[in-house]
Amino acid sequence: MTKKYRLLALLTAFLLVFPILFVVMLSLGKTWSYPALLPEHWSVATWSSLFQDQRISQGIVLSLIISISVGATASFLSLLLARSIAYSAHQRQWLVGSYLPYLVSPVVLAAAWQYYFLRLGLSGQVQGVWLAQFLITLPFGVIFFNSFWNSHIRSLEQLAATLGGSPWQGFWLVSFPLAKGPLLICFFQSFLISWFEYGLTALIGVGKVQTLPLLVFQYVGEANIFYAALASCLLMAPPLLLLWINKRLVFIRSEGMEDQKE
Amino acid sequence: MGTTEKLLIVKELSKKYGSEKVLHSLDLELASGQVLSILGRSGSGKTTLLKIIAGLEIADTGDIFLNQKHINELAPQHRNILYLYQEALLFPHLSVAENLAFGLRLRKTPAAACAQKVAQMLEELGLSEQAHKMPDALSGGQRQRVAFGRALIVQPKVVLLDEPFGALDAQTRQQMQFLFKKLAQAHQITAIFVTHDLKEALLMGDHLATLDQGQLKVYPSKAAFIEDAETGVMAELAFWESIKTDRPTGHEN
Repeated sequence: MTKKYRLLALLTAFLLVFPILFVVMLSLGKTWSYPALLPEHWSVATWSSLFQDQRISQGIVLSLIISISVGATASFLSLLLARSIAYSAHQRQWLVGSYLPYLVSPVVLAAAWQYYFLRLGLSGQVQGVWLAQFLITLPFGVIFFNSFWNSHIRSLEQLAATLGGSPWQGFWLVSFPLAKGPLLICFFQSFLISWFEYGLTALIGVGKVQTLPLLVFQYVGEANIFYAALASCLLMAPPLLLLWINKRLVFIRSEGMEDQKE
Repeated sequence: MGTTEKLLIVKELSKKYGSEKVLHSLDLELASGQVLSILGRSGSGKTTLLKIIAGLEIADTGDIFLNQKHINELAPQHRNILYLYQEALLFPHLSVAENLAFGLRLRKTPAAACAQKVAQMLEELGLSEQAHKMPDALSGGQRQRVAFGRALIVQPKVVLLDEPFGALDAQTRQQMQFLFKKLAQAHQITAIFVTHDLKEALLMGDHLATLDQGQLKVYPSKAAFIEDAETGVMAELAFWESIKTDRPTGHEN
């Protein structure tokens, strides 16, 4: 690597890592007044509040429950839905339909859905937020799995059928094992969409469903930068963990492939 | 020959995609243990014909009978007609032995009988050493052999082969043709073998037919197939004859 590229790589790494380090540093600060470059006092008091302030611990649990369940349900159902679309005579129209929710922002969608959520008694409810986030992540999954259901996979299922397998056996014994990798990636992505969702959650939850992103904005609004930094750290933790797991999986898989070639 | 003696009967089969007619009122009959070679160019409707017989496509009109039973409405998994693609299409997450056992497991064959049949088939295919290998560790020819074994192990009533050796090199292709002939005789296979290769059609089939623009022409004998100018056999023979005549004498040494 030349000196120029090494410098560029270091700069890129710094730009990526700096916001994370900065937020962690801020969460450990106590007082920080202008024009000091760094917080004047350091303390773990903000982090200790994790065990005292129920708002944060409840926010974490609620966000985890919503995002994990939304990610898992949307990933599995979108795999099945994308399969139906792949076999449908109107595949093109269904796919165009899957892109429609992304033509407008989630906030605009939430405003449009609000009436129905109010009528169904789901506004301001965890179930309502869950459903709204699910409706946003499902089309993403369908678009994601569109390329999975290519002619090769469909031929494998057809072959399983001529060997005596029902459509369900074809799916469960052939396609599903092959979809495990894409399912995992789709789950990570759907989890992240749900995890960082703010506008939709704020509108459908009408401020009553306090997920982590809502808490971050609330603390920022209160000018409580140390709590906002703590909530941001917690918000960043799962994506960083997923990134690490994903990297490990990809690394193990590529190592395995190398072994097989040998 | 009366229809009762035929295993597979296809009557007035037609299919079109949009305004394009792919199969025109097509008839064919196939007796048990016979192999029908169908010679046809790309786009002649070969794949559509096989997929309709296998139940993977639906015909617009026409009837299909298997053992005198009308099977038009029967789902592919209940037909016991196996469709083999040009690609071996081995299940990539299963080993060679597991691929072979796939159809038996779907039929809930007891584990001991399943293992015995798989071992026997591996022996027959000359793949005993590869039993635990994954498909991506096999050569093209080995993959196609496993695909054959996976099909034959479930003892299908009819095997439909859609240019199965199209992706193989010339030498492997020849080996596979020989293996197919051997297996066809040993297992008394009833098959439709579709190819665009003239020599392969002649080698593989007990009976011969051509499919051109959705029209099937079945020949009463090999001689009739060879004599028909449309099959191209005479032109091929003339070509090789001309090569032989023009050959410089020095080449003989």
